Amino acid sequence: MEETKYNFDVVRWFTIMAIVYLVVGTLVGTYIASELAWPFLNFDIAEITFGRLRPLHTNAVIFAFGGCTLFATSLYVVQRTGNTSLWSPKMAWFTFWGWNLIIVAAVITLPLGINQSKEYAELEWPIDLAIAVVWLSWGLNFIMTIAKRKTSHIYVANWFFMGMFVMITYLHVVNSLAIPVGLFKSYSIFSGVQDAMIQWWWGHNAVGFYLTAGFLGIMYYFVPKQANRPVFSYRLSVLHFWALMFGYVWLGAHHLQYTALPDWTGSLGAAVSLAMIIPSWGGAINGMMTLSGAWDKLRTDYILRFMIMSLAFYAMSTFEGPVMSSKTVNALSHYTDWTVGHVHSGALGWVAMVSAGALYHLVEKLWNTKMYSAALVNVHFWTSTIGTVVYITAMWVSGIMQGLMWRDYDEFGTLTYTFAESVAAMHPYYAMRAIGGAIFWLGGVIMLYNVIMTIRQASAQRSTAAAAAA
Amino acid sequence: MSKLREYFHTEWSAMTLHDWIGLIVTVGAFLAMVWIYFYVFNPKNKERLESQRHIPFEEENTDSENEK
Repeated sequence: MEETKYNFDVVRWFTIMAIVYLVVGTLVGTYIASELAWPFLNFDIAEITFGRLRPLHTNAVIFAFGGCTLFATSLYVVQRTGNTSLWSPKMAWFTFWGWNLIIVAAVITLPLGINQSKEYAELEWPIDLAIAVVWLSWGLNFIMTIAKRKTSHIYVANWFFMGMFVMITYLHVVNSLAIPVGLFKSYSIFSGVQDAMIQWWWGHNAVGFYLTAGFLGIMYYFVPKQANRPVFSYRLSVLHFWALMFGYVWLGAHHLQYTALPDWTGSLGAAVSLAMIIPSWGGAINGMMTLSGAWDKLRTDYILRFMIMSLAFYAMSTFEGPVMSSKTVNALSHYTDWTVGHVHSGALGWVAMVSAGALYHLVEKLWNTKMYSAALVNVHFWTSTIGTVVYITAMWVSGIMQGLMWRDYDEFGTLTYTFAESVAAMHPYYAMRAIGGAIFWLGGVIMLYNVIMTIRQASAQRSTAAAAAA
Repeated sequence: MSKLREYFHTEWSAMTLHDWIGLIVTVGAFLAMVWIYFYVFNPKNKERLESQRHIPFEEENTDSENEK
């Protein structure tokens, strides 16, 4: 059999950068969480205040860490499942350098306050254009690699990556439409409630198609590979894919309950959100049941633990989200820390943990070795799990308390608590959240150390083998 | 007019082009989703679809890249 030439160099670099950005992004997150608990940490320096660093944190974890993870895994999976090399390795390197330059631009501009004020799309128009070009370079390369595959069927993981590509292209372009008035200043072409609707059409679909569909692509390849068993049901995966594609686009309006948006749009968003529990849980069960008959692997395979735990968080947050979108619960939860807790149960529990599992798998395959320390992988697993649980528990308690305090009133119809009183009541939970974040960040540092040592170990093994051969 | 009929009453003559596009896309997406359910759960398609589960394991013979 003629051996296929894969292009894994660019995958290796995306893998390394993903882990670096995991550490940096969560460090910034932990710092701003600490600022909320102990405001003196602002040090009266505008560039490091919460308002400037918060978008840096979200961009670093979503686009730097998440993006590099998605590029590494998608460019790996498309080659392996298509039994072919990349359509254009040069274009893949263009994607790598372009994406990293965009991240550098974000690191410079966001602390300086250069910001479009659109959540999860804060970067100014020249950077938005660069994102579109680099994103298209990845998408074109991915699709053309699929076109030159040597297998007849396109494996389902690639469908999820393609779905993400099509939808995020569409969402990014429409949401970023703006009139530039200078190199670093522009105004959205949308205004008022239309702007809010477009913002959350983008915002929730970034969650749906980038942080969910893309990472489900990861799940459908790496869980079966790590478990060494085929996915539980391929038919369920097909249904999962199409239900996600058809359903997710309707959800955005549930972010705007009780606003100037027509009432029916929020109701529609909530109704479809509830309907989405079915495919989401179908997918989570599909991933977990892949281990059916081999659950004992979880005792010894710490990488697999990450993946299965991530599916548990995926199931939990895809139940919690629809519940929070219903008007009754939303009346209490909206604008509170409960939303922050929900986002992080998905971001830390699902996205970061399935990524960690996939990245560990990739490191072993790409450097053709075992991890330097399996024990450290286990320590990382527990720090990630405990950190996430501490974080989201703090935010649940704080969020529900906030909601109850804000709407409580006495027999004269006067609010029982001032806003400042509710802020003061949050302090212990904000401290607890910062501690949870720090524990999670520590896990990332352990992972980075373990991966560096694994790569060094692989290099040493290669040198020894080469010397022995000579 | 009954309450239900009143609730579902639509003034078709007031529909704009955008309304029609939205309606067609929505109903089209719904019908496509129904078709997907039938396609996936049709026993005739079971073997064909489930045979694709093994794709990630068919590449083991080409596990490594050639050295440059």
